[in-house]
Amino acid sequence: MSKSKASGPSRYEMLFIVANNYTEEEAKTIVAKVESLVTENGGSIAYREFWGKKKLAYVIKQNHYGYYSLCEFDAEREAIAKLDRTLRLSHEVLRHQIISIKALSDEERAKIKEKQAQSAVKNEKKEEKTGKEKIQKVVAGKNEKAEKDESNKAELKDLDEKLEGILNNAQDLL
Amino acid sequence: MNNKKHKDCFFCVNQMDVDYKDVRTLRRFVNFYMKILPGDRTGICAWHQRKLTQAIKRARVMALLAPTHK
Repeated sequence: MSKSKASGPSRYEMLFIVANNYTEEEAKTIVAKVESLVTENGGSIAYREFWGKKKLAYVIKQNHYGYYSLCEFDAEREAIAKLDRTLRLSHEVLRHQIISIKALSDEERAKIKEKQAQSAVKNEKKEEKTGKEKIQKVVAGKNEKAEKDESNKAELKDLDEKLEGILNNAQDLL
Repeated sequence: MNNKKHKDCFFCVNQMDVDYKDVRTLRRFVNFYMKILPGDRTGICAWHQRKLTQAIKRARVMALLAPTHK
């Protein structure tokens, strides 16, 4: 980053999780509250994104789910410290993370998302291939098993018939 | 002894930046136990590997990635 930027406001990105004990609409009002907190501290919001309810990778304060929200804004360094302090005291926001980023235009952001989606698709295709091979192997294994079962059944039938024959003969003898 | 194959850096090849929010991409650079793979396993260049470890740690803080496998 250029040094001249250090004096003026710089771009920050904040991701935060709203607790799960609210409905989606309530969560959205909380998100609006947090965003107003940013503007109160002299920040100007450049981009916002609401991810909705997502499962947390681990339990945070007995919450298994949380509402994720992303917000990009320009602010001074002192404002960030203030914002951080108030959010840490908040019960509604489970967790937040503010990091400095370089300012992106909407086009650049769209490009990045496209690339991420593409790489995800590639990854899935690879997984599908390996997955298909595995399924084929499993199916083949099952077929073999089924054949074995059938041959076993045939043997059992033969045995039953033989037994019946012997029993009948025995009755005749008696 | 040292016959590790040289791999191309994923992020350089795809001209992507490392993003802590892109969990699907991050997921391929951690092992079953959610440990960060070393640079010689990932094949990522040193510059991107440093960004990657930072991103994975950020994702863990925000509960996007699990810190361990249960």
